[in-house]
Amino acid sequence: MALLSIKNENVIYKVKNKNIHAVNNVSFDIEPQDSLGIVGESGSGKSTLALSMLRLLPKKIAEVSGEVIFEDRNLLTISEDELRDIRWKEISVVFQKSMNSLSPIHKIGSQMSDIYMLHNKTASKAEVKNKMTELLELVNLPPRVYTMYQHELSGGMMQRVSIALSLMHNPKLIIMDEATTALDVITQGQILNEIKELEKRLSIARIMITHDMSVVANTCKKIAVMYAGYLVEFGYVDDVISNPNHPYTRGLLKSFPTLKGERGVLRGISGSLPDLSVQHDGCIFESRCPERSESCHKEKPGTVILENGRMVMCHSAGRR
Amino acid sequence: MNKSGDFFTKMKRMLSMINQVRQLKIGIILLTIIILLALFAPLIATHDPFSLNDDMVNPPSKNYLLGTDGLGRDIFSGILYGARTSIVIGVVAASISGIVGTLIGGISGFYGGKIDSVVSEIINVFLMMPTFFLILIIVALFGSSMFNVMVVIGITTWTGNARLMRAQALSLKQRTFVKSLENIGESKIKTLIKHIIPNGIFPIIANTTMNISEAILTESGLSFLGLGDPNVMSWGQMVYNGKSYLTNGWWISTFSGAAIVLTVLAFYLIGDGMNNILSPKLNDNK
Amino acid sequence: MARYLRRRILTGILIILVSLVINFMLIHLAPGNPISLLAGKDNPSQEMIDALTEKYGLNDPIHIQFISYVKTLLKGDLGYSIMSSEPVSKLIFEKVGPTLLLALTSILLAVVIGTASGIFAARKRGSLFDVTMNGLSYVFDSTPSFWLGLMLILIFASKLKIFPTAGMVDLRAQHEGIAKAVDILWHLTLPLITVTLIQIPYYFRIARASVIQTMSEDFITTFRAAGMKENKIFKKYIFKNAILPTITVFGINLAYVISGVAIIEIVFAWPGMGRLMMTAISKRDYPLLMGIYLILSVSIAVCMIVVDLIYAVIDPRIRYD
Repeated sequence: MALLSIKNENVIYKVKNKNIHAVNNVSFDIEPQDSLGIVGESGSGKSTLALSMLRLLPKKIAEVSGEVIFEDRNLLTISEDELRDIRWKEISVVFQKSMNSLSPIHKIGSQMSDIYMLHNKTASKAEVKNKMTELLELVNLPPRVYTMYQHELSGGMMQRVSIALSLMHNPKLIIMDEATTALDVITQGQILNEIKELEKRLSIARIMITHDMSVVANTCKKIAVMYAGYLVEFGYVDDVISNPNHPYTRGLLKSFPTLKGERGVLRGISGSLPDLSVQHDGCIFESRCPERSESCHKEKPGTVILENGRMVMCHSAGRR
Repeated sequence: MNKSGDFFTKMKRMLSMINQVRQLKIGIILLTIIILLALFAPLIATHDPFSLNDDMVNPPSKNYLLGTDGLGRDIFSGILYGARTSIVIGVVAASISGIVGTLIGGISGFYGGKIDSVVSEIINVFLMMPTFFLILIIVALFGSSMFNVMVVIGITTWTGNARLMRAQALSLKQRTFVKSLENIGESKIKTLIKHIIPNGIFPIIANTTMNISEAILTESGLSFLGLGDPNVMSWGQMVYNGKSYLTNGWWISTFSGAAIVLTVLAFYLIGDGMNNILSPKLNDNK
Repeated sequence: MARYLRRRILTGILIILVSLVINFMLIHLAPGNPISLLAGKDNPSQEMIDALTEKYGLNDPIHIQFISYVKTLLKGDLGYSIMSSEPVSKLIFEKVGPTLLLALTSILLAVVIGTASGIFAARKRGSLFDVTMNGLSYVFDSTPSFWLGLMLILIFASKLKIFPTAGMVDLRAQHEGIAKAVDILWHLTLPLITVTLIQIPYYFRIARASVIQTMSEDFITTFRAAGMKENKIFKKYIFKNAILPTITVFGINLAYVISGVAIIEIVFAWPGMGRLMMTAISKRDYPLLMGIYLILSVSIAVCMIVVDLIYAVIDPRIRYD
């Protein structure tokens, strides 16, 4: 049975009389101990998707519909209290800007302990401190980090703190939102290897959100390609990379963006993201697609399911 | 043809921006009314604001809309003419402060190095000084003509603008277009005046609008302390004059003070609205 | 931290120095010659001229004059008041108490009320309270303190006759002990309300803005994602982060409060330094005027350094720089 199953999820941002369709009708499953990489340009809805699963988007402007089933419970409809129990204990997150992921004027250790105590209310002080030192060790940090402040640590160290934080309660699923983007290549490599090691040992499933294809290729079993809020291709990394079925995936693989160049235009695909606040009749990728045909303009493509769990949202899918 | 089209779209965009920021909208409406009243003061005024008459300390009536003061001068007409004084002093003083601050801050941030450290220190020092007292002493020593008051307020309040412009210059000089200007051999002073200052001026304009408020308040404070220009009609002086008649002529101080509040508020709202456009994060209208 | 402190203390010393230079320059640049300015008369007696020339070394080159001027000041000699021929320092010292009473209580009240309401408004952003307080903060920011004071007198003293119009004690009744304290409090109420109301918008706006700013920080999402309750996030993390700007502006606000207090003292005939200053201005008592200015500048500089010290203790980012 799937650990997490997303069914027809939509996210609409309501800002200034505009409805921005950030996530459209996305469905996929994650099995226990799976590792899924979600890739796409900035603005493709990948971070929104991740944050919406734990209801972390601002309620006032974000409207989430569909289902996010985690172990038989729909995370979008359960009560705040129930959700709080799941947060961090079952599903934890490593955020994009780890340099700001903790309060700058409180000690790292005390914040870690605070978060630990949320789900282990009876733990004694000594116990907590021991556990935290262990955790720091687990991510290759010296114990003195416990009494340090955020500004005294480097980006790589803070990233490790964030990872330690996410592993704290042995969650079943970790969502890593661009967790290694801000790091230099060497530190990124080290941390990615450590993560792979840890999840094998602790049997954790992982969702890795990134714009970097190489990260996905090296660390994930499955891949989900998102474009303008749509899931355009999904499948095993090996299958997708060796034989990309969606023109956008092909473009992404051709362009292989630089490590820090998320903002640059992807070289393989000309043009830019369409306006998400207006309705599109045809395929969302039509305006930039090198292989578009008449039907792409008129008709929305359905999701074609191919062998080995492969899903593609394109009119020409499976025909090649 | 094309250009005028451009102009209209720009105007349209500006108008919609003004409409979106509530402070700006209210402030501009308020200020327009005040400026119109000040401009047409001779037409609207019911009496000569300086002429004394026998109806002393008369309450508001049909003849004297807002009453008369202790010497029989009409308050309503006084307030109309006083608007001119307040606005002129506010605008001139704040402009002096804006120009001085922009130049010093721009030079400091753009040239950097020793000049910058010295100027930053001067700014720090000025920020901690009781400016109002300094103004008070200078005006007390050198005389309280309108000119003196404007200049003194202007040259004691430039530091805020300098700080803003310095930050702008620091960030602008990192931009590619400034760097390429340097490469094609544009002189530093030209780059500063033609590119850095025009590109970084908006926060200073917003701040200067706020400074007009401050200057009007400062001037009214000086006038209230008896250090106003005796040759012009000023709201601060009217409040000061009314102080002795508080029990039997409440209208004298009340209306003239209310005029200060409204005018200061108008500039203040506009300045704050502009700041909101600059950093929309704190804007309340969402 | 040592570096930070050294810098701040240096700035403080610089402020005092600049105040001295300004004072000195004013004496020399003002219309008329320094002697008549220092003597307070247009035609002082020959002895007086000699004494003043000797004391301030007025025949020496300007930089030596400055040094001897500073030397005299360092001895605590601020010169003599013209109107009462008493030492300026003595006159000022007598009036410090009432001013401090008014200034300090009002600051305390304004910080507490302004900050609390700012935080509350930020948490209930867009609520009726928030909108009303925002509007009020604009209005009170635009209100001249002296006019507000007059309006309060008009309403609460002359019409409703609840509070006295002026002074610090009832001169007709010779109160002692607790009765005297109550009497002072009674007289303090209106001036205190005025100075406090003028300051509240300042703290309200800073607190509101910094709470809103802090609530949008990334680390808040971390705690939320970890399942921490909103109340706890606020109490433990947002509050402490959001209060820091209030402490920084507290120092800058001091100079502003003191000038506000000075004007209010005149409105309410409160016997403090502001009134002393006014008398000095109307009597052209320049030594007294400059003495007051100097004392004010120095005390503000000292207060700011103290505030910076407190800040350095609270914010670890400064402590370790």
